[in-house]
Amino acid sequence: MVAQIKHVLPPVSRLQYKKGDLIIKQGDYGISIYKIVKGKVRIIRESGGKEVVLATLGPGEVIGEMSFFNKSVEPRSASARAFTDVELEAWHPARLAREYEQMPPIIKLIADKMLSRLLKTNALIGKLGAKLAESKAQRSPRESEASGRRFYRKQVDLECSYRPIDAPPKVRFPGKIKDISLAGIGMEVTSVGRSSVMHDLGELLHVVTVLPNNKEVEFIAKIVDIRKGRLPGRLFLGMAYVDVSEDARKKLGFFMMP
Amino acid sequence: MSLEKLIYGYIAHEEDYQDKTEIIQQGTKGDWAFVIIEGEVKVKKKTPKGWLTVDTLRKGDIFGEMALITKGECLRTASVFANGPVKVGVLDTDRVIKDYESLSAQMRTLLRALVTRLKDSTDQLANLVSKIAG
Repeated sequence: MVAQIKHVLPPVSRLQYKKGDLIIKQGDYGISIYKIVKGKVRIIRESGGKEVVLATLGPGEVIGEMSFFNKSVEPRSASARAFTDVELEAWHPARLAREYEQMPPIIKLIADKMLSRLLKTNALIGKLGAKLAESKAQRSPRESEASGRRFYRKQVDLECSYRPIDAPPKVRFPGKIKDISLAGIGMEVTSVGRSSVMHDLGELLHVVTVLPNNKEVEFIAKIVDIRKGRLPGRLFLGMAYVDVSEDARKKLGFFMMP
Repeated sequence: MSLEKLIYGYIAHEEDYQDKTEIIQQGTKGDWAFVIIEGEVKVKKKTPKGWLTVDTLRKGDIFGEMALITKGECLRTASVFANGPVKVGVLDTDRVIKDYESLSAQMRTLLRALVTRLKDSTDQLANLVSKIAG
């Protein structure tokens, strides 16, 4: 059976990318797997408008294997960008998926155990990373100012979406930003039918919105105040910025100008 | 065939360990893996701030498989300690490797990538924990 699969694996296709080209986009749903034949590729995670280089990969290494093992139920967890001119081999995910299902049970068992351990570890890293960001924020003086949110607040009525920062990127809840200042926002959310955990004081939320001047901004903010909303089933969250990229800060600053 | 029977079919021999014995030592070489027949083990990683427990494994769980898949090229990424008396089965490396070799080159590359990812993530986790503890 396995020998047959080996036999029918199609010849791989080769792809060329120029230095700087985007190969995989974070957040996309894709299942292609690539092996680097020539050149170098950077794995980059974007968070709050910042780009963090996770790894630089070279010939012989694969890209996109996580989506394969995850059965692509999750979007791409990071972007891949050509760091030099690169040549890639694109693999056939459907055939590999079939081989995965049919491989010797002991190997499948080992692979499944490694995968579940990896997912568990990554989830823990996400949680701890958030905790670290929070404890850093608490130590910085800007945060104490921000908690009081004593800055000028602009009244707005902006649709936004948010998620707890350790939730997968595809999780999005709708909210409404009611005021914006240079220290934080006031956001109205629905409390019904959602786990109350994420509306606790100190929770970190990733928020995305489009300002009235059509600029999209995203940032991470911490819940510093919770009140009942004006309508039943609604909560009004006072949020202080924890992580705002330079770019988002500029856009917000420009928007805040009288 | 039940999963249990399947793994037990691969056991070359059994070993017993007393509480707190280090069954696998982080950083050493070795290409064999274990399955827990009875008892519990703790997977711990050495960090600048001391030992960090990254996982607790029980009956039917496998450990040491990362070194097995990479045929011993990958050094043991963590230590494994008996948590109470433990009975483990040592998997027949040759048989498992034979099964592994029957896979296509692409699938083997993917599995090795999985090992690397798991190793990197565990290192990153240990790093984060020692940062937070500090």
